[in-house]
Amino acid sequence: MRRFFKHNSLSIVFLVLFLAALCGQAIAGHADFNDRADSHGDPTISLARYVVSSDFGASVMENWQSEYLQFTMFILLTVWLLQRGSPESKELHQTGLESDEDQKVGPHAPPNSPRWAKVEGIRRTIYENSLVLVMTTFWLGTWLAQSLTGVVQYNADQLDHQEDPVSWSQYLRTADFWENTLENWQSEFLAVGSMAILAVYLRQRGSPESKPVGAPHSATGVEG
Amino acid sequence: MRAKPVLCACLLALGLPGCGTASREHDAAAVAKRFHAALGSGDGQAACAELNPETAAKLEDQEKKPCEEAILSLELPKGGTVADTRVYLTSAFSTLAGGGVDFLDEAPDGWEVSSAGCRPTTPEQPYECELEG
Repeated sequence: MRRFFKHNSLSIVFLVLFLAALCGQAIAGHADFNDRADSHGDPTISLARYVVSSDFGASVMENWQSEYLQFTMFILLTVWLLQRGSPESKELHQTGLESDEDQKVGPHAPPNSPRWAKVEGIRRTIYENSLVLVMTTFWLGTWLAQSLTGVVQYNADQLDHQEDPVSWSQYLRTADFWENTLENWQSEFLAVGSMAILAVYLRQRGSPESKPVGAPHSATGVEG
Repeated sequence: MRAKPVLCACLLALGLPGCGTASREHDAAAVAKRFHAALGSGDGQAACAELNPETAAKLEDQEKKPCEEAILSLELPKGGTVADTRVYLTSAFSTLAGGGVDFLDEAPDGWEVSSAGCRPTTPEQPYECELEG
């Protein structure tokens, strides 16, 4: 058991942090919802009711979709784009999908490779792209969920102001949907870009996200 | 949304809201129907019982008479059926078959009419309501 926790401590700790932050968001969001309801003369709701509401759902989903977009873009673009000196980048001569030998697929796959890395055809193609396929699916799914919960939240506000509710397709053309989407996208792209360039010059001893402390600034695609 | 049942099935896996509003829409529609039925039968007290307390108080203040008398003097649809009701969080929007719209809010004890006898004005502008909440 101890070995299990040690070997999986990264995912376990982040899972715990995620759950704690989600609970905290629910509590703070519930308080904020009821504050706004009070000031509009609307009835307040319980925490149990709030966590299954579209208000909470939209807040969660708009953040999730941007995180999965960030990973989708980062995984995909780092195949072809380079950042000299960054540990987030491949080495300068490695741009593109690389050779089968470098990627250890087909006849070049060692005995303990995943099964679909050894085979030919559609299964290997799917496996070769499985990470971006899954991330893209999560991104599009959570973005859809953001839009479906967002339209309910938007329409509740419309009714509060005695205005017509809108359909889902109309909501996709509103400034509200795009503001909520883009305010999250910009922060994700900023975070990735910052990390790519800061890691050229700065170090964190012991982290695989950093180059070794003594590695030159020009060293690209090396981990600490 | 025609695709709503399919989308709801997908979203249930994520435990998301948006599904299961059918019973709440039915409850809100029932309140709107009772309100207009009470007006149709001249029962001002029953009609005021379906109102949001703030709306009732505002009506009494404006008309300078008890709610059950004031409500019957307004030009509100009497009787009729509710053609469609939509629920969004704790707000609802009921369209009457004979024309006009009611706005409702969900209180701890159930739905209450907050504005009634509402007609559209210009696009993207608020409705004008005979009974304002």
